[in-house]
Order: sequence, then structure tokens, then C-alpha cells
Amino acid sequence: MIELKNLTKTFEDFTAVDSLNLQIASGEFFGLLGPNGAGKTTTIGMLSTLLLPTKGEILINGERLTRKRQDIKRKVSVITQEYSMRQDMDMDEIMEYQGRLYFIPVKQIRARTEELFQFAGLTEHRYKTIRKLSGGMKRKLMVCRALLTEPEILLLDEPTAGMDAISRRQMWNLLRQLNEQGLTILLTTHYIEEAQALCHRVALMNGGKLNDVDTPAHLIDKLGAYAVDVLSPDGVHSRYFSEREQAIAYLSGLEGQCTLRDTTLEDVFVEQAGKRLS
Amino acid sequence: MGIITILWEKWREFIRDFSRITLAAMVAPLMYLIVFGWGIRTTMNGQPYLYFLIPGVISLTTMNGSFNAIAQNLNVQRLYEKAFDQVIISPTPLWQFIAGQILAGALRGLYAGGIILFLVSPVKTGLIFNPVSFFILFLNGAVFSSLGIVVSFLARNHADVPRFSNYFIMPMAYLCNTFFSTDNVPHGAREVIAALPLSQTSRMIRSIAFGEAYHPVGILILFSYLTIFTVIALYFVYQKKNL
Repeated sequence: MIELKNLTKTFEDFTAVDSLNLQIASGEFFGLLGPNGAGKTTTIGMLSTLLLPTKGEILINGERLTRKRQDIKRKVSVITQEYSMRQDMDMDEIMEYQGRLYFIPVKQIRARTEELFQFAGLTEHRYKTIRKLSGGMKRKLMVCRALLTEPEILLLDEPTAGMDAISRRQMWNLLRQLNEQGLTILLTTHYIEEAQALCHRVALMNGGKLNDVDTPAHLIDKLGAYAVDVLSPDGVHSRYFSEREQAIAYLSGLEGQCTLRDTTLEDVFVEQAGKRLS
Repeated sequence: MGIITILWEKWREFIRDFSRITLAAMVAPLMYLIVFGWGIRTTMNGQPYLYFLIPGVISLTTMNGSFNAIAQNLNVQRLYEKAFDQVIISPTPLWQFIAGQILAGALRGLYAGGIILFLVSPVKTGLIFNPVSFFILFLNGAVFSSLGIVVSFLARNHADVPRFSNYFIMPMAYLCNTFFSTDNVPHGAREVIAALPLSQTSRMIRSIAFGEAYHPVGILILFSYLTIFTVIALYFVYQKKNL
């Protein structure tokens, strides 16, 4: 289990994460959503010990996470938002370096690299240096690198950023499979449909604070399962209804271009972020 | 062990960039030797100036080799490639990462110094380089590797490391008992320069090369620098809030 207790991070006079309290169960697929500057990446940064909290603490299975806790760090893999790889190494070297950093025997690194490269379709590119790879290939390599260490917890910061639609779907399937095998996953993403498709629960963050934590279905129900979009000269305005009949009744009283649809997690996200902005 | 991992990483880098590293280590020191040693033919204390110059140039070459192998590379890994993030995230103890970098940097410095020694070997100078000389050169490399780590952690952008080199490493290369004896420097500045690590290294290497007794307090001074820089580097990796 991952527990964030009163987690706070300030940069000089700016508070990026403000008293965050959160519990993520073992085996859970958890999403951290929020607009730019919400504090998602800072939270991942603290979970990966790249950043140290200003206040509060992180517990992994009840043990306090610090940079010195090798035993805890051994269980965690991180896929950062940036590529975070030496540009002059080739793919094989990247994998071997990672394996060695996690004290995996070289023979085992090579065997597992073979499997992961075949699975990700990277085998034929394995001797290319990182600077010669496309963005999608680098992302795949980062996934392979994270899985090489057979972690119990996988932290993903915008893992599908820059991927085409097909690669993104492949990644979703892979993450789903890994989660079904018991891997705890914490995901931050800008693609709300990604969180809706994958996550058991999501936390909505804004301005460093936690706004809400629930399952995507419950968050949608809280807002109203049905949305009516009304097109006006100043843009699209949406209203939400818990009952379909209410939505239809509202719709029938409207003139102009309007549509009835199911509410999505994106609506919840936009509503929450919009409230904050206003 | 984490130290072996870092040595492996540095070894791969060395193999990959072998010709670039070797050429870079050779050019400037060779120029010094050609211009000041063979070009401007002069003597010092009744001996060819080249004899005085060689130990100093070898000392400064180990300094440059070690500092450059670590500072700019780690700076790029931390600020640009973000590859250093993976080290922090990994279970490799960070003190082993620091120790590995210092060791690898010292070996790179020793390699650079060794090239110059090899290139001047056809010149019959009678200078002595024994295991103690190599130990001192290794220690000098370790000092400047650890300084390289500290500078790379202090750097806020890519230009900061070359800037530090220009303001501190390059003046040291010229002033610290390399091209001339610090005994000629005015009182006050002399003591400051003499306390710098390269001055100590050059002095000891030259004494050994001339078959004279060297002052072992220089080794203690080098160890002191190494300890201070290592402690600062450890502070950064374990305590710095935002790496």
C-alpha cells in the first residue's frame, strides 16, 4: 500500500503540493488527474525521491520512503515524463545499466531484455543509440526498462505522451495486463479517457490540493450521468443531470443546436478545473 | 555493487568515445610541451626547462582529464538527459554512485596523464616516475573528480561547468607549480596558490621526478580536499531537496 500523509512541497514561495493525503491499495490502478500545474508531477517526483517533501511523508507498505531506503526503492519503477536516458547509449546498454543499478545478474538482464524487446517490437532497433530513436520507441524502451526490474509498484508520469493512437492502445492493454497480474500502478495523464479506461480510482488535483478521490463512475454520477451541450455564440455550455428524463425535459425546452450525451470523466475534470479558475 | 555499475557505465563511455577522449587528452598538453619545452628553449636551475615542465604538465593533465570526465558529463545527465534521475530512483546506494564517479574520474585522469608520459618517453630526460608518482596522480584525479561532482550539482545550466573551468580550473593549470615554481610568486598569493591541490601534486611529482624527497604532507592535503568535496557531494545526493 502507498500512503501519502500530509505531503507538502514548496519551491521558495510557491506551494506545488499542499497537504496531500492519499491511500493507494496494493494491486490498485490509480490515476492522478489535474490541469497543468496541479502538482501531479511533483507528487510523482516525491514518490520517486527525486524531490524531498517539505512536510509530510510517504509510506510504502508502512515503511517511510527516503533516498536511503534501498529495500523500498527496489520495489518501485518509475516512467518519468521526460525520457531520462543517456543519449549516447544504445538500447541494450540502457537495459543493462538499469539492471545493474537494480543489482540484477547480467545473465538475467540479458534474458529478460530479449523477452521485453520482442514483446515491445524493439529487437531490430536494439543497437541504435537513443538519440536516433523516435519518441514512440523511446517511450516503449522506457516501459521495457521499468519492467526489467519486475517492480511491485509502477509510477507512470504521462506515459503515453507523444505516442500515436495505436501505440497508446497497445500501452493501455499492456498496463491492464500488468495490473491484472497484481502490479500496483499510479498514473498521471492528460488523456482523461486513458484514466477512465484504465483506473479503478482517480484523484482530481488542482493547485496542489486534492479535490476529490473516487472511482470514475462515482465521480461521473456525482456530477450527473447525462450531459446536455448547448452551442451558443460564446462556446459550448454543458449542464448535467442525474436522470435521463430530466436531461430530455431540459433539452426539449431549448432552441438552437444542442445535444444529449453521457457524461465523461473529462466533464468532471473540466468542471473541477473550471471552478478553480473562476 | 553500485561502484562496479558506475565503472561499467564509464567504461562503456570510454570505449565508445575512445578516440575523442584520447585526442582531447593529448592536444593541449602536447602544445604546452612543444611551445614551452621545445619551441622556447630555455633552462631552469641549469637544466632544460622541459625537464621542469613535464611533471607539471602531467599533473595538470590528470586534473583536466578527471574534472572534464565527470563535471560536464554529470551535468548533462542531470540537467539535459535526466539520466541521473534513474540513479536516484534506483536502489543503488548513492554513496556508491559518488564513489564510482570519483574512481572512474581518477582513472580517466591517470589515463590522460599516462598518454603524455608515453609521448615524452622517447625524450631522454632521466625523470623518475614510480608507483608513488602514480598514486599521487590518481589521488589528484580523485580530488578533481569529486570537485567535478560538486560543480555539476551546483550548476544551474549547461554553461555553468565551462564557466567554472574558465574561472578556476584554467588559472590553476597555469599557476599551480606547473609552468613555474610558486616560490617566485609574491608573499600572500604564494601561500594561497601553494595550498591548492594541483600545486601540491605538481610539487610532489616534480620532487620524485628529480629524485628528491617529497613532502608527504601534500598527500594529506590532497586527502583533505577529497574528503571535503566528497562530503559535499554526499550532502547533495542525500539531502538536497530538489535534484
